[in-house]
Amino acid sequence: MAVKIKENKKLDKTSFNFRKINGGVVLSNDFGCHCVLSEKDFEKILKGKKIPSYLEERLSEAGFISKKMDFDKLFSGWQKKNSFLYTGPGLNIFVLTLRCNHKCLYCQSGALSQNGKKSDMSWQTAKKSVDMAFSSPNPNISIEFQGGEPLANWPVLEKTVKYARKKQKDSKKNLFIALVSNLSLMDEKKAEFLLKNEISICTSLDGPSFIHNKNRPFSLGNSHSLTVKWIKYFMKRHDEQKDLSYRIFKPSALLTVSKNSLGFHKEIIDEYVSLGLESIFFRPLSPIGYAAKYWDKIGYNSKEFLSFYRKGLEYIISLNLKGKKISEKTAQMLLTKIFDFKDPGFLDLRCPCGASVGQIAYNWDGSIYTCDEGRMIGWEGDDFFKAGDINKSSYKDIINSSATKGCMVTSNLENQPMCFRCAYKPWCGVCPAVNYEAQKTPWGNIISSQRCEIFMGIFDILFELLGKKRESEVLKSWISEDK
Amino acid sequence: MKFKSKADTSVYSLEALKLASYILDEWQFKISTFGEIEVDGENPEKGFKELLNEALNQQCRIDLASKNSKIANIIITKAVLSALGEKEANK
Repeated sequence: MAVKIKENKKLDKTSFNFRKINGGVVLSNDFGCHCVLSEKDFEKILKGKKIPSYLEERLSEAGFISKKMDFDKLFSGWQKKNSFLYTGPGLNIFVLTLRCNHKCLYCQSGALSQNGKKSDMSWQTAKKSVDMAFSSPNPNISIEFQGGEPLANWPVLEKTVKYARKKQKDSKKNLFIALVSNLSLMDEKKAEFLLKNEISICTSLDGPSFIHNKNRPFSLGNSHSLTVKWIKYFMKRHDEQKDLSYRIFKPSALLTVSKNSLGFHKEIIDEYVSLGLESIFFRPLSPIGYAAKYWDKIGYNSKEFLSFYRKGLEYIISLNLKGKKISEKTAQMLLTKIFDFKDPGFLDLRCPCGASVGQIAYNWDGSIYTCDEGRMIGWEGDDFFKAGDINKSSYKDIINSSATKGCMVTSNLENQPMCFRCAYKPWCGVCPAVNYEAQKTPWGNIISSQRCEIFMGIFDILFELLGKKRESEVLKSWISEDK
Repeated sequence: MKFKSKADTSVYSLEALKLASYILDEWQFKISTFGEIEVDGENPEKGFKELLNEALNQQCRIDLASKNSKIANIIITKAVLSALGEKEANK
């Protein structure tokens, strides 16, 4: 809810949004500052009654009292939190092929069978895509290889890495390269090349084998054991690195929560801890691709997800209290925004979203989309989010495309009736592609959006836990790790 | 099947009614400047109710745009100009 209190002349407050949670009321303002008050104190403010001096001090420090605003400090916080507005796209997603040897139940990448090379990105397309990626004014360029299974198009991956590293030297920009792979096609030779080129490895791990293999059928073997084997390999290489001329990054893994995961939060988290993974990302299913098709079998409602999330987060916190090092990624990113005024690089939670101005998705056939979700919708036959073509469009054409501008307008929270009044607005964002797929319009109908319910619920859980001393200490310790 | 009725123009602006009519493609709507509406299609009475419902949604967005369009445009312009490498955007 949004409130502008005019009658409380004593305090002369600025406008703010608020939301009642278990144990208090969260107040936030456009600077991204917040205060959590007791219901009693909040009522006093609403009624214009005198409030304790410590509270007045807290409110004025956070920019809630107009006569006591340190505008320079508040603006610098806002600018830091919204630094992405000043940089241009940094993330470049290369869909090297649609071929994949897995048949994951929730796949949203439009994977095709392993046979045939019709959906492989050609070297020419990859080279032009690298050139376009370096056209961005952003000094930090990331290239993320995705698929299908990107290792299925190894020759192009290898050439692209070499070319991108050369471009990096010429342009003097920072270049980060990441591989998102199921690791089933990995071998020592490929691994060596990836490590020597400082490529970070990210894979999918849905928990112990009985969940992972159910979600990620692999006809040629055991997906779980292969994934675990290679996570251990890269972890060992990371831990043993010494006197090398290159850096080896710790491998990371992504969890997609499906119906099969519900009730098994402990087993999933224990699996991550046993492999030495220090972060777990409770990602809800997106109603895109196969996931939308098989929603009845693998989907859930937001309440079911949030119950899983709460139990999982509380379990992770209890492990931290016992000295084990593991954090939850969504919580870590949101806390970084809330307390550190820093953009953690999660493009779906920006205003406006990262469509083209934060990321660009290069499809195997040269078509360019505002984001990977938009690319997937294109694969289903609807090019609403297509921003151009690598053979016909310039970088400026992509940024000026109607797809980009459409996403900019619809993901701007100032244009969203629900969002602009929401207490969590400073740290949240909407995804036009998810809206379009789930509700047939990029604007979405946020009040009935499952995505909104989930994020609102996560914020509620976080603020509730932040009100408890031990939990709060653990949660806040994750912010420094993110630095 | 046709159905005729009138929308209360003190509640629904003509702009909101027109925007709503573009969204509901199951029916055809004729909207006069005085809010008289003719609905053509299957179950036209339902179409009329749906139109008014969607018009409220559109009205809400129109009102919000008139209030917030300035700040919304500044944010978008900054994001797009920065992505284009325009130095002016960072001033």
